[in-house]
Amino acid sequence: MPKAKRRRLTAATIAATLGATALAACGSDDDGDAEAGPAELTYWSWAPGMDKVVDIWNKGPGREEQIKVTVKKQAQGDELVTKILTAHKAGKAPDLVQAEYQTVPTLVSNDVLADISGEVGGVQEKFEDTVWQQTTLGTDAVYALPQDVAPLMFYYREDLFEQYDLDVPETWEQFADTARELKQKAPDKDLTTFSATDSGLFAGLAQQAGAEWWTTEGDSWKVGIDAPATHRVADFWGGLVEEDVIDNEPMYTPAWNKALNTGKQIAWVSAVWAPGVLPTVAPDTEGKWAMAPLPQWEAGEQTTGSWGGSSVGVTTDSDHPEAAAKFVTWLNTDPEAVAALAAEGGIYPAATAAQTTGAFDQPPAYFANQADFYDRATEIAKTTAPSAWGPNVNVAYNSFKDAFSAAAKSGDKDEFTAAVRTVQQDTVADLKKQGFEVAP
Amino acid sequence: MSSVAAPRSPAPAAPAAPGAPGAGQGRPRRRAALIPTLALVVGAVYCLVPVAWVAVAASKSGTELFSTFTFLPGSGFADNLEQLNAYRDGVYWKWMGNTALYAGVGAALSTAVSAVSGYALALYRFRGREAVFNTLLAGVLMPPVVLAVPQYLLLAEADLTDSYLSVLLPQLLSPFGVYLARVYATAAVAKDVVEAGRVDGAGEWRIFLRMGVPMMAPGLVTIFLFQFVAIWNNFLLPYIMLSDDEKFPLTLGLYTLLEQGASAPALYTIVIMGALLAVIPLIALFLVVQRFWSLDLLSGAVKS
Amino acid sequence: MRPARRPAYGVKGAPYAFLVPAALLFALFFALPIGYAAWLSLHRVEVKGLGLGSGAREEVWAGLSNYTDALTDAELLHGALRVLGYGAIVVPVMLGLALTFALMLDHERVRFAPATRLAIFLPYAIPGVVAALLWGFLYLPEVSPLHYGLDRAGLPQPDLLDGGSLYLALSNIAVWGGTGFNMIVIYTALRAIPAEVHEAAKLDGCTPLQTALRIKVPMVAPALVLTFFFSIIATLQVFNEPTTLMPLTNGISTTWSPLMKVHRDAFAENDIYSASATAVVIAFVTLTLSFGFLRTVNRRTRQEEAAR
Repeated sequence: MPKAKRRRLTAATIAATLGATALAACGSDDDGDAEAGPAELTYWSWAPGMDKVVDIWNKGPGREEQIKVTVKKQAQGDELVTKILTAHKAGKAPDLVQAEYQTVPTLVSNDVLADISGEVGGVQEKFEDTVWQQTTLGTDAVYALPQDVAPLMFYYREDLFEQYDLDVPETWEQFADTARELKQKAPDKDLTTFSATDSGLFAGLAQQAGAEWWTTEGDSWKVGIDAPATHRVADFWGGLVEEDVIDNEPMYTPAWNKALNTGKQIAWVSAVWAPGVLPTVAPDTEGKWAMAPLPQWEAGEQTTGSWGGSSVGVTTDSDHPEAAAKFVTWLNTDPEAVAALAAEGGIYPAATAAQTTGAFDQPPAYFANQADFYDRATEIAKTTAPSAWGPNVNVAYNSFKDAFSAAAKSGDKDEFTAAVRTVQQDTVADLKKQGFEVAP
Repeated sequence: MSSVAAPRSPAPAAPAAPGAPGAGQGRPRRRAALIPTLALVVGAVYCLVPVAWVAVAASKSGTELFSTFTFLPGSGFADNLEQLNAYRDGVYWKWMGNTALYAGVGAALSTAVSAVSGYALALYRFRGREAVFNTLLAGVLMPPVVLAVPQYLLLAEADLTDSYLSVLLPQLLSPFGVYLARVYATAAVAKDVVEAGRVDGAGEWRIFLRMGVPMMAPGLVTIFLFQFVAIWNNFLLPYIMLSDDEKFPLTLGLYTLLEQGASAPALYTIVIMGALLAVIPLIALFLVVQRFWSLDLLSGAVKS
Repeated sequence: MRPARRPAYGVKGAPYAFLVPAALLFALFFALPIGYAAWLSLHRVEVKGLGLGSGAREEVWAGLSNYTDALTDAELLHGALRVLGYGAIVVPVMLGLALTFALMLDHERVRFAPATRLAIFLPYAIPGVVAALLWGFLYLPEVSPLHYGLDRAGLPQPDLLDGGSLYLALSNIAVWGGTGFNMIVIYTALRAIPAEVHEAAKLDGCTPLQTALRIKVPMVAPALVLTFFFSIIATLQVFNEPTTLMPLTNGISTTWSPLMKVHRDAFAENDIYSASATAVVIAFVTLTLSFGFLRTVNRRTRQEEAAR
């Protein structure tokens, strides 16, 4: 812990110095300036309130630089990547795109994202290594700048945990015990549900367990889904479903919303963004929730995964990559910009210094009862395990949905084990089909 | 019994309901046919239950949506409306306008294309008629899902993507509309009237406009209605074509409210309200259109 | 106002001239994209090395490999069988109801015709964006009024999104959404029947039911054929209904129907090549079934005409 604390302090100091110089650096720095402006850029983003953040740029630094950015709001989802790829095929991709981390390899592999390492020197240290590495894919290139991170946490109904005399689980073993205990005390309630439609959550849990689903070996990809770490997670949840101590229906349905709202489900493994989602999902429960670190596989460990998070990249179709890179740097590192992103878009910034700025002094409105919410969140964010994405995450995610839906429906733990193998096979088969070298 | 048939034929032969503008109005009330009426009412109720949900849900506040009984009206109607109206300075109304433009202009042009094609296929015997017809119909065999990407690339060549035209143009030809127009033209356009026109020396185009179109009118408004709703609800094409949300139609705009990323809440109440309001123009259109079904197909054009 | 200038074409040329707009639009927005999709279906992407950076991907000739993949895909076959089962419920029920409602609307003494006509058509106009919410609220046991009622009555509550009920749940959405549409097609055709026919039928002493079955139905046969034709195609290309319910349940996979697989390949997995091949296969099956149906019907009507 003391180490983490020190790191945070260091980060804050760096932020103070860097943050203060960021604007100056933009204005006077290198000779690339002459090429940067004037430029008009388009930016595809799905984040709410992004247009307001961009307005700050257009009225301030953007005006000085003569770089005007227009936001074109998109719907987030699987199809957006296809839309970007199609637009790129016609040479009409926007200058800037928001991209979830797991889609970055796909976009890079299709030559959509430009390498901006030459334009963003020095920003690397503003991000955690595990976050940064998702935008470089372990190479010297920089394909995007991190925008938000989404470390996993454990959310629970503080009032109901008290009512049923449950302890907040610190390990997954305790988590299972808590589920059983609750089932015993209140048979019509569930601790939570296993949602087969949320591949991203499962990927995050596997990430916490140490799984590395995609790695490279020389010129070939190695798929590590069918590995002990993933099996550990699958067996754990499969066991709970088999025991019938948690629910097995998907999240984000009217029924699930109601279950969270009425306290039929009393906990939710989710990410740092949950306080922004709970008000619409469970509107009657304000102030009744609390957040704790994600349960650990071994007592005393401190590791988490992530569920979501996104970056912003410059496309190879852009006529003004320098100008675009300048804007991206401002958007994701400038204190004013990041504060606005937090306020307008409700995002939890990837830039470490930004996580401790004024925007996060107060806990989220829905968690007013937990004054140190963001202090703890910052601590947890630091413990995020490295993630390892590959060029066909979407294929693995779809395979996951199908295989684990069937497994969840069967309620048989063995089916969960089999599902992991199915996902591995589908993913490897697809890579091979595309012509990738796949290491055995 | 002739009075019963009156709404069908306002021709001089039928004495009842002179000058009645539409069916039923001014007609003396007769004993209702019980079973058909009952069946229709049951059908209407069946169809209205889910629609009623949209209306009920639009009246619920965010808190009520997931907590109160599904069909219990809520107290948030005005709030939801206000929020929808306030969302990004009323961009919803812009979407509504865009949709009206896409659907209105698109359906009008599409109906015109269907009418002229269907008329030609129904009224003339010419070499290759069935081949042309079958080829046009074959257009529906390939699922639109796989056509969207090629259509995008094609329009990108013409530098038309992200424009109003990119959504309008691909929807102008509707194989369904052509087929329907052919069926209606076959049934409704009297061949002897066309022949009479030719004897009078009128050109083919003139005969089509002056005689064919009025006789096909009830069928054409049906085609218009269908095309209007089809374009109104089309999602994939505008999704691929448009990037500028100022040009979005309603379906796409509302979708962006639901999919703002995992970290942002889906704005359910606003979306439901938006969906409810979107139905209102369609109801209005339907009410206008259904007046045309009451016109007599044959007498209207011929006698005047 | 008799035109002095005669058009360049006569009676012979007129139909060709009339078909020019349709032909142009067809060539541009159907034939070309279909051709391109067919071309794509014969290609695939070849990645070099790790596939990162520019020039790592190349479109190469794939021969028929995408087709052999599609045809040997057991999941696609299962999807086709599921769709046939679904269609066996939807098509007869939907068209039966549509025809019944259309005939009743056309009945002389029916009440509330305009209102019920609108009501039955209205589902077609409900925007798809709220469909998942809508059916979630009506189907999921925790929030469904149906389950609430069954619970109150002490009856067992079925899981509507599993096993055989799933087909009913899906069919219900399709029937709900499509009946009004088909009803209007048939109804409009009924309006085109000349009034004299009705008069004649009445003079012959036909009851309304007899008139409906013996005179009206045969006269709107072309419209019925049309609704059948398009219903078959809509069934084979079913996508919206299962996609709507997919996020609500573990019971529907991303490849539940063949077109869902096409959509997944094209839009979630960025494999437009396989998607195109599968789409061509679907198109061929659709061609066989729907045009086969049209041919059969046409042959029969011709025979009947000849027999008269």
